[in-house]
Amino acid sequence: MSEGMPTIHVVDDDEAMRDSMTWLLEGEGYQVACYDSAAAFLAARSDDMQGCMVLDVRMPNMSGLELQERLDALGCSLPIIFVTGHGDVPMAVSALQRGACDFIEKPFNNEDILSRIRRALDLECQLRTRRQRDTALSHRAGQLTPREREVMRLVVAGKLNKQIADELNISMKTVEAHRARVMEKMDVRTLAELVKASMALDERQGA
Amino acid sequence: MAPFWSKAKNSAMFSPTPPPHPRQAWLWSAPYFAIGFFAVAMLITTAILQWREHDTAHSALEGDMHWAERTIDSRLHGHQDFLAELARDQEYLRLDYEAFQVRASRYVGDNPDIAAVIWVGTDGKVEWVAPYEATATFVGEQLGGVRLSALMDTLRSRRAAFSPVYRDAGQHRAADLIIPVQRSSSDLGAFIAIHSIDSLLRVTLPTWFNTKYSLTLLDSNARELLSNTTVKPTDRTISGTMNLDLLDNRLGLQIVAYRTGGAWLPYVPAAIIVVLTLLVAGTLIQLRRHARHRAETEEQLRAAYAFRQAMSQSMVTGLRAIDLEGRITFVNAAFCRMTGFTEAELIGIGPPYPYWPPEEFEKLKHNIDVALAGQAPPGGFEMRIMRKSGERFDVRLYFSPLIDAAGRQIGWMASVNDITEPKRARVELERAHERFATVIDGLDAAVHVADAGSGEILFANRAFRTIYGFDVLGRDSALVTAVCRPPPETLARDPAGLTGADLPCELFDGEIQHALSGHWYHLHERAIRWVDGRTVRVQIAADITDKKHIDEVNLKQQKRLEQTSRLITMGEMASSLAHELNQPLSAIANYSAGCVKRLQSGNYRMDDILAAMQKAADQAERAGKIIRRMRHMVKKGDPNRQPAPLSELVEETRAFADIEAKNSGVQIVVDIPEDLPDIVVDRIMIEQVLLNLLKNGMEAMHDLPAERRKLTVSAERIDDRLLEVAVADQGHGLADDDLEKVFAPFYTTKPEGMGIGLAICRSIIEFHQGRLWAEPAAEGGTVFRFTVPIEE
Repeated sequence: MSEGMPTIHVVDDDEAMRDSMTWLLEGEGYQVACYDSAAAFLAARSDDMQGCMVLDVRMPNMSGLELQERLDALGCSLPIIFVTGHGDVPMAVSALQRGACDFIEKPFNNEDILSRIRRALDLECQLRTRRQRDTALSHRAGQLTPREREVMRLVVAGKLNKQIADELNISMKTVEAHRARVMEKMDVRTLAELVKASMALDERQGA
Repeated sequence: MAPFWSKAKNSAMFSPTPPPHPRQAWLWSAPYFAIGFFAVAMLITTAILQWREHDTAHSALEGDMHWAERTIDSRLHGHQDFLAELARDQEYLRLDYEAFQVRASRYVGDNPDIAAVIWVGTDGKVEWVAPYEATATFVGEQLGGVRLSALMDTLRSRRAAFSPVYRDAGQHRAADLIIPVQRSSSDLGAFIAIHSIDSLLRVTLPTWFNTKYSLTLLDSNARELLSNTTVKPTDRTISGTMNLDLLDNRLGLQIVAYRTGGAWLPYVPAAIIVVLTLLVAGTLIQLRRHARHRAETEEQLRAAYAFRQAMSQSMVTGLRAIDLEGRITFVNAAFCRMTGFTEAELIGIGPPYPYWPPEEFEKLKHNIDVALAGQAPPGGFEMRIMRKSGERFDVRLYFSPLIDAAGRQIGWMASVNDITEPKRARVELERAHERFATVIDGLDAAVHVADAGSGEILFANRAFRTIYGFDVLGRDSALVTAVCRPPPETLARDPAGLTGADLPCELFDGEIQHALSGHWYHLHERAIRWVDGRTVRVQIAADITDKKHIDEVNLKQQKRLEQTSRLITMGEMASSLAHELNQPLSAIANYSAGCVKRLQSGNYRMDDILAAMQKAADQAERAGKIIRRMRHMVKKGDPNRQPAPLSELVEETRAFADIEAKNSGVQIVVDIPEDLPDIVVDRIMIEQVLLNLLKNGMEAMHDLPAERRKLTVSAERIDDRLLEVAVADQGHGLADDDLEKVFAPFYTTKPEGMGIGLAICRSIIEFHQGRLWAEPAAEGGTVFRFTVPIEE
């Protein structure tokens, strides 16, 4: 499993299904990993897994939905495409409500499943990028002193240096010094960039 | 107002009864003796006094007589001396007539008892008479009779003498004192003093003597000559006789003392004594009689009191008297026993009494107020009071006014009966009867008891009376229940021919339709021995109309359910099959798409393509099998019982169940002997039953670890006609209650289940004259068993 190459994790109790899925997806050039049960997947799972999951809803012992719950609890963010049989539509809907990426009903067209897999991989890619950026931002924000963070908040709010000095009861010079350090630490050059970074931070904290 | 009895009096009442006084007759006789002695003594004393008085009177009489004698004697002697002096003077001739006259007249004048002094010659011729005016005799009168003879005698004897008493011319008694005068031995004559006897006593003796005594002069022959009174004293007890010595002439003087006071006077004291004695004796007798009466009354009273006391102390009814303020004035032993308090602890205490339990305080206070107001109910109060130990018990109190001897009310008497036991018994009895009545009347079934011979209804419960009327008691059961009665020929025994030894026995047990209402009853009739010994028929009629109706409805519903169920089961199976079909179809599509992609890209290996195509073909065959199975199942329609091997049925069913078994990880073990005979059944129906049982079994083991999810199907022949099939799971098992409940229609434990599975299964098995039941499995879980007929 190489870096940058996403893997399709297929979890299904039916041997024929796993085998045929592997055949199909490898034909498309994807890496495929098969697991014959939810337990097998949980055993092999790691945090740095990339790609997406194709998960059969009906499985003995632990169903697809139960596995989804477990993964959710573990903080795994792999997008999941549920594969349902006949009459399992309500179940799939509830799975979607709980954050599943997509679902597809058996028997399925190969294009349908492939397009869903592509979309899921794109989504996963975006998520990963944003997560990396957010992580960097957080790291930078973490370096700010409490006073600097305060100054940043007021700057972003559009306050002038004088107003900030009055409010925090410090001198203009000090404000300017703080401001310069904030710009430096947050690795931005313009006020607009600082505002953007601050918003991203707020979003992340709010999320 | 003083209480009827004070405490002191009360305690005296309880002192031991004093022994009755011994009859001391002597004590009662003593007064009589005393009175007798006293009376006798008094009488003797009186007699002595009487005697002494008598004696004194006699002594006085004798003294007086002696004195009188001497007085008379001296007077007579005086007279004699005077005459003798005259005689001497005559003798000596110194006396002449003149002198005589003077001296004699003077003497006569001094002595009125002498009527005259005369001088007579020897011939008895009166010569001188002095005083000359004397009338007793005359000069010249010749003395005669006794006078003359006395004179002669005197002259002859020459001694002075008295003549006998004679009556003179005036008829007065008189006697002559004759003194003879001689001179020289010749008689000259004699001086005679004529004594008037009548005057003698009067003149000689003083007046007091004459008034004191009755004097009677007697002559020598004791003839009465003269008396100083004409009244003759009747009582001559005090009397005496003396002799008046008139010289030769003897005269007796009888003196009788006049009685001073009445003749009865001496007897007055004695009479008084006697009367008083009698009076005292009489009084004593009366007193004694009264005392005896009183003693008898006392005895009776004592006996009555002792009886009452014994009664009061021995009776079990408690007695308690209170005064008008409610203070206790008396309690008997029973009351003390009852409450456990001593008499001393209760007497004088007002409400609240120590035997009032705190929780009953209000009620008891109210009761006593009502009682003191005189409004106690005649039936008494029923109340709960407390022993000293704190134990509660029930009593009934009857109040009655306490009236003293004067007729005033001085309080209230309460009789207290411990009714704890009777009350408990009564309550028990009431409860028992109530329970009995409630149970019997609460029964939906109509119960009645009728005499086996006469048919008279002796007992009927509410349900029976509701059906046949509320006045059925005493009427003929045969008439009353004519519309709903087992025909006599259907009875197990003839009720008329039953003897005591046959009882109890069954008469009838069956269903009868009420001819009028159309209701159906299940009648159960028995002959038993009634409480009074006679033989009776007890009939219990349960209205089963509704049950019959429900049975019918159930039957219809079950048929409908069976039909519906078949459709539902098929739908479920179809759905299951469709899902199963998805697998091979999806796999085929995947293989095909993979092949197409590789072939299009030209980058492929032939072996890979072939392998994939082979796999796709396998999946297509898998799909075909599924379709065949479905077709086989659907094509069957009406029940069609034909011989079939059980193993085949089980195998077909298992093919369906395996789909689910795989999903739920259940291992299905089939353990059926080879040599079982064919069973005669509708294959589809029995397969449905088996499928249902397998599905249930799998669901029951849903929560178990995968390795324990084992479902076993086994079978054995139990007799010539039946085969028993068992489906055993390893699940949690069913509660005893649920073992039967699971067969009820619409009973389910599954959220999505309809609850008709097992109900239909049972119907199907029963349709095959078999039986379906559940029981706990030996190794945990539940075994469903059913029987099916085998080919004969």
